[in-house]
Amino acid sequence: MTALYRDIVLAHHRSPRRYGELAQPSHASEGVNALCGDSLHIELCVDAQGRIREYAFRGECCAIATATASMLGEAVQGLSAAEVAPLQQAFAALIAGQQPVLALGELAALAELARYPARRKCALLPWATLAAALGGQAQTTTEKDTA
Amino acid sequence: MSPAFDPLRYRADFPLLSRRVHDKPLIYFDNANTAQKPRAVIAAVEEYYRDYNANVARAVHSLGEQATAAYEGTRDKLAAFLNAGGRDQIVFTSGTTQAINLVAYSFALPRLQPGDEILVTQMEHHANIVPWQLVAGRSGATVRAAPIDDDGVLSLDRFEALLSSRVKLAAVAHVSNVIGTANPVAAIAKLCRARGIPLLVDGSQACPHQRVDLQAIGCDFYAMTGHKLFGPTGTGALWARREHLQAMPPFFGGGEMIRTVSFDGTVFADPPHKFEAGTPNIAGFIGLGAAIDYVQGVGLDRIQAYETELLAYATAALDSVPGLRLFGRAPHKAAVLSFLIEGVHAHDLATLVDHEGVALRSGHHCAHPLMQRFGVPATARASLAFYNTRDEVDAFIIALDKVRRLLA
Repeated sequence: MTALYRDIVLAHHRSPRRYGELAQPSHASEGVNALCGDSLHIELCVDAQGRIREYAFRGECCAIATATASMLGEAVQGLSAAEVAPLQQAFAALIAGQQPVLALGELAALAELARYPARRKCALLPWATLAAALGGQAQTTTEKDTA
Repeated sequence: MSPAFDPLRYRADFPLLSRRVHDKPLIYFDNANTAQKPRAVIAAVEEYYRDYNANVARAVHSLGEQATAAYEGTRDKLAAFLNAGGRDQIVFTSGTTQAINLVAYSFALPRLQPGDEILVTQMEHHANIVPWQLVAGRSGATVRAAPIDDDGVLSLDRFEALLSSRVKLAAVAHVSNVIGTANPVAAIAKLCRARGIPLLVDGSQACPHQRVDLQAIGCDFYAMTGHKLFGPTGTGALWARREHLQAMPPFFGGGEMIRTVSFDGTVFADPPHKFEAGTPNIAGFIGLGAAIDYVQGVGLDRIQAYETELLAYATAALDSVPGLRLFGRAPHKAAVLSFLIEGVHAHDLATLVDHEGVALRSGHHCAHPLMQRFGVPATARASLAFYNTRDEVDAFIIALDKVRRLLA
């Protein structure tokens, strides 16, 4: 029906990877977009070197947020917080219609969001939640507009 | 017997309805959000700016007189439209929200004491909750909500049980913007009057869909908006009983609401002008006058009869979609259908059907407490008007089926 919901996005929505919880997470955060009704929980195991060793998410989200959270787990495997930040910026640039400075792998499938400004916050929610978890913040949102 | 209602005849009056979206014919099902405008409204606004743009109520030149006559003419039209009693009981506002806030600050706040209550219902729009919370916060009063059942029907018994001597004002939607329930406002007004409790009715969603007779309802305040009634945005009105308008102090001060001003004291104009400080949305109200003429021309009774039939058709069609849950099955309701499809988030649904040309609203519809009542974060909502057709409902159902196959 639309290029936004391409096969790879739908595949991640239907069978999200790393969906569930970790036995002993070292970091966790909650992302909630109350206006949309999206809520997402991300758990991480970060090693002594500060690298993401394990990632799991769960929650009730739209297909765009779910697919992003699913792809994100793969993309940030083994990265440190300092390495996640530029990737997050590259993704934000991509979905704002700019050329990303870093390769984004499967996440590049969400480039079509450039044409859906109202839906960008959905794809940014897992990123913000991951950043919050790494930064020790219990909760975050990507809704800054009003109801 | 009146001739059959032909929506296609009226569609032709709405230029926007012939446009395409994503190369599909537009199916505009977001009428509870805002309605489209007939050519007569667009022309009235344009004519004012082109031919007689002037301020109202203060210019003695020809343009000013013409503008004032057209602008004040809308007050007469609205008074007749609502069977308001007198034109002096119609206070122009920017919409329902401003009308309710005016009552909250000018009428309720000076009367509220700690321990008092304002009674609303679980199905209210935020505009009929938040202003009361704000004045309750300032006065030590509390806002309570009368419950609704699983079909979205307000229980009159439970509403009555909550009308204690602590309740200093009740505020109820005439028609719910989310689930379409049409509340028995005349019966509610009777309960309130028997106890001397002033009642405000939020008429935003009622005016476009049914005849509103304020003399028959018997409430104290009635708030409405113009843009859902096929008029311009930034127009609306508060109707109130004369004794309330006399007693209420002005809320905004400025020009156009005074008789004389001196530093020893200012004498205010009589209602309704007492509440209308500053230069108003002149073009908008002239457009609203054209909208009222238009709707009167179609006929509210015919609109209601047609929409009731279209609602029954759309309800049956939605009930045939596997995994679809419809919220709100009140026996008396307007053509508003809130729903969810299992496994499909409301926002994905709205984005996807937009690609089929269907404009829907998704989200909480400015009614968080109602979403909580049904235990869902958001719904998709199709809200119909008299220019919608069965063919559009059919195309919408096909679009929903595509979405369901894609996501669910």
